[in-house]
Amino acid sequence: MHIPDGFIPFPQYVVYWIITLVALYFSMQWARRDLKERQIPLFAVLAAGIFAIQAMNIPIPWGTSGHMVGAALVAIVFASPWAAVLLLSIVLILQGLIFGDGGLTALGANIFNMGIIGGFTGYYLFRALRSAGEIPAVAVASWASIFLAAIACAIEMWIAGTFPLVEGLWMMGLYHAVIGLIEATITVVVVLAIENSRPDLFKFSEWGEKKGVASK
Amino acid sequence: MNARDKKFMTGGILIALIIAILAPFLASENPDGLESTAEKVMPNPETEPVVESPMPDYTIPVLGESKVGSSIAMFLGTVIVLGLAYGVGVILRIRETEPDEGK
Repeated sequence: MHIPDGFIPFPQYVVYWIITLVALYFSMQWARRDLKERQIPLFAVLAAGIFAIQAMNIPIPWGTSGHMVGAALVAIVFASPWAAVLLLSIVLILQGLIFGDGGLTALGANIFNMGIIGGFTGYYLFRALRSAGEIPAVAVASWASIFLAAIACAIEMWIAGTFPLVEGLWMMGLYHAVIGLIEATITVVVVLAIENSRPDLFKFSEWGEKKGVASK
Repeated sequence: MNARDKKFMTGGILIALIIAILAPFLASENPDGLESTAEKVMPNPETEPVVESPMPDYTIPVLGESKVGSSIAMFLGTVIVLGLAYGVGVILRIRETEPDEGK
């Protein structure tokens, strides 16, 4: 879902850059306030894992492929959408700067879609659905995070005059509805793996109870 | 970092590196959702990057478009992301504690 250079015209990509820079400021505030020292290894390992798995395109029908984004995973594990913004920004900046995956002019839009929309959708949907069961909530939230990021991307491409609205929405929506199944599966597996191996770093029973845990 | 964190980090890094090294061999060659849409709805979906990247499309220029080259590029990328994310975490954490230590 990495937008290359040339898909968004100049004044529009500046808008996404501004939104993203403001979000990055808040995500750094999150880290200063809530990123506990013992969580730094988890943060770094998740960033490395998400970078690697984003390159593993899995075939879906229609001669298309898709990869995981990981924003919902980070937002749920760290109980904050800002964690996803910060981590995805690191991954996307590296991908854009070193590997040409996503254009540098479009980097603001890419962080906006995958980090901000992905992270906020994942976080708030998990929070809303949690009482219905934690694993189904993780699955639905992570599926929706990539689906809505793709819908946002299609709308941006329409505003940019790059894609027609209806076709863009249909294709991006359909492809990412399927890719979302991959996202949901991997997110559930990784969340359960962290909960089982390191319940001190993440467990559902303490989810969102930041202040009490932070002082320890 | 205690022993438990080291074990966790070692395990996590190994998993990430294995995925990184295998990714070029296992990943589908098909375009992803956005590229695929672009190919179908845009008359000319090929665009030039504004800045040429050192390892464009996860390749190492001197090695050409080989999968081994891509594995090496992915390996390097994973290590750089790991270090950068760790560094960002440490820097932001240090800034938080500085005011308390100064007084």
